[in-house]
Amino acid sequence: MNPTLPPSIPFQPVDYAAKGWHFDAVIAPDKVVEAAALLDAEGFALDTITGVDWMAEGKMEVIYDFFCLDKPLRVAVRTRIPRDNPEIATISAVFPGANWHERETHDFFGIRFIGHPDLTPFLLPEDADYHPLRKDFAA
Amino acid sequence: MEPQDDAQILKDCSPYVKFAKLDELLALGRANSLWPLTFGLACCAIEMMAAGASRFDLARFSAEVFRPSPRQADVMIVAGTINKKMALAVKTLYDQMPEPKWVIAMGNCAISGGPFVFPGQYAVIEGVDKLFPVDVYIPGCPPRPEALIEGLLKLEEKLTGKRRWPVVIPK
Amino acid sequence: MTAPETIPTQTQRETFVLNLGPQHPATHGVLRVKMTMDGEYIVRAEPVCGYIHRMQEKMGENRTYAQFLPNTSRIDYLSAMTYTHAFVGAVERAARLAVPPRAEYIRVITSELNRISSHLVWFGAFLLDLGGFTPLLYAFDDREQILDLLEGITGSRLTYSYYRIGGLYNDVDDAFVKGTREFVARMRPRLKMYRALVTENIILRKRLIGIGPISAEMCRKYGATGPVIRGSGVAYDVRKIEPYSVYSEMDFIAPTFPEGDSMARYLVRMEEIAQSLRIIEQGLDKLPAGPVMAEKVPRVLKLPSGDYCYAVEAARGRFAVRIVSDGKEIPYRVKLRSPSLSNLSLFEEASRGMLLPDALALMGSLDLVIPDIDR
Repeated sequence: MNPTLPPSIPFQPVDYAAKGWHFDAVIAPDKVVEAAALLDAEGFALDTITGVDWMAEGKMEVIYDFFCLDKPLRVAVRTRIPRDNPEIATISAVFPGANWHERETHDFFGIRFIGHPDLTPFLLPEDADYHPLRKDFAA
Repeated sequence: MEPQDDAQILKDCSPYVKFAKLDELLALGRANSLWPLTFGLACCAIEMMAAGASRFDLARFSAEVFRPSPRQADVMIVAGTINKKMALAVKTLYDQMPEPKWVIAMGNCAISGGPFVFPGQYAVIEGVDKLFPVDVYIPGCPPRPEALIEGLLKLEEKLTGKRRWPVVIPK
Repeated sequence: MTAPETIPTQTQRETFVLNLGPQHPATHGVLRVKMTMDGEYIVRAEPVCGYIHRMQEKMGENRTYAQFLPNTSRIDYLSAMTYTHAFVGAVERAARLAVPPRAEYIRVITSELNRISSHLVWFGAFLLDLGGFTPLLYAFDDREQILDLLEGITGSRLTYSYYRIGGLYNDVDDAFVKGTREFVARMRPRLKMYRALVTENIILRKRLIGIGPISAEMCRKYGATGPVIRGSGVAYDVRKIEPYSVYSEMDFIAPTFPEGDSMARYLVRMEEIAQSLRIIEQGLDKLPAGPVMAEKVPRVLKLPSGDYCYAVEAARGRFAVRIVSDGKEIPYRVKLRSPSLSNLSLFEEASRGMLLPDALALMGSLDLVIPDIDR
């Protein structure tokens, strides 16, 4: 299996020695499921899903990391969504492992993953209604 | 047979028969057979396991029988961080232990929240004594197995009033 | 006497919910599994996490880079060295600090010692779950030898904060080198003993062979790495595929077994101990002289804006740290990619229809450390 980068995702090369991954793409939020499906078809594995709260810019960033199992090829797909109503489609139908990563991101940031089968608190108590990693969170 | 007086009988028997108050006997029995509850939460649990394993051997101090069920345990060694989500479970376990019961708070997290206390923290209970009373505190992150053994000896001292082993003063 | 009336055989099957944990000797930490059971068969096993959530990622946003370093040891305390390696590696990558070669070799040697001690704890605890107490005592005895060596140079037994940004905190002395060589010589016959005592034990084989099959495709979809994916036939090891530090100079293999059952994962870890001994020997042979700390590490370290990532092969799988910096001395976001989370996420699918003791054997073979999942 020789995974290649799907051409329709706008990947840019990244300096691996300086950053730690090989290719990066910034896409629109409504294209994440398609990008995940293309990478799945090429044989990439899901690494993790990271949320970042850019409060000053009014956006939240979601970074999807994928890696290749037989050669050094790590790619990151990132997208930004508005902070006051953060919603994005779930990729858990493509990568079942995304289920827990999305629950965790929802716990920490309040990002709603549309279509997720069970978006209940994962690391926080079951009745938690706060999102601690938001920059305006006060305990 | 000549009548013997009681004092002489007691003196003759004293190498073989001892008398003590019932409370002291019970305390000695309890102190020498503490049954800990397997309650390792985080990193300190590994040092607790190491204390029960071959080199440090809690069996010498008769605390080797770790019971998974709180109904059969009499000392709860809280080894690790207590979380707000876990606090209810910890309290339930404590309540389920039959009296007399004791608690050893092992490690900095169980004493006061440990390294996880920072302004704005939302998840950690700062010390298990916020939930129920603690008898012995063992500081360390994680404490060495020898420190856990010392904590158990301190608990025994608390129960019996006497310390079983001399304090080791390293050269 | 007349024949008894036919007893109606239409029994109604009901499922019930059995709660495993959060306090349970077999879950290796505070994990709760809500299992819907049909008799002794699992219909659905749903892990519930968060009972040891210690806000590591939030603390990353409240601590400077140097202050966060001790936290990294406590995420997965059994492979504390490798986790610290990932964090300091990410910071060094971002700050473009050149770590001296002696420090890199010592990092590799101590990481591999840590890997062996983590596998020994797994070995003891796994066998304890399956019902055998003796291997735990043997394994912890070997582990104490490693802990003595590491305590001599780091001062700590479990949560070392030995790697610092730019190198190491302390150099190793001749006693460490000599002691490590003696340990390697002592450990090899012990592995033969474990093979004879445990691996070839008929009860263990019956409990592990064919139990808990996980396919390579499932591993890929869930992101499972480490011995879990290597036990399913895929030779993915971060030390081989994305070599970091000086692993590219070491001659070793990443053991892979194709069967995908619990026995394969068990054999991967036992073989990894042997491979780690090889790496340690090579590291000691090649250890160069020199300083152990980079020159000119700034006291107040500020990383340039952007994200930086560093991945290592911890004992449980691929651990990666992603630091998002906005130019200040505290990170903007620290993301910890936990191997145990990805490994456990496939438990729900893999344990459907299994008997409960088999599911526990599967969970033990995944080698989980729950604070790594909850962070």
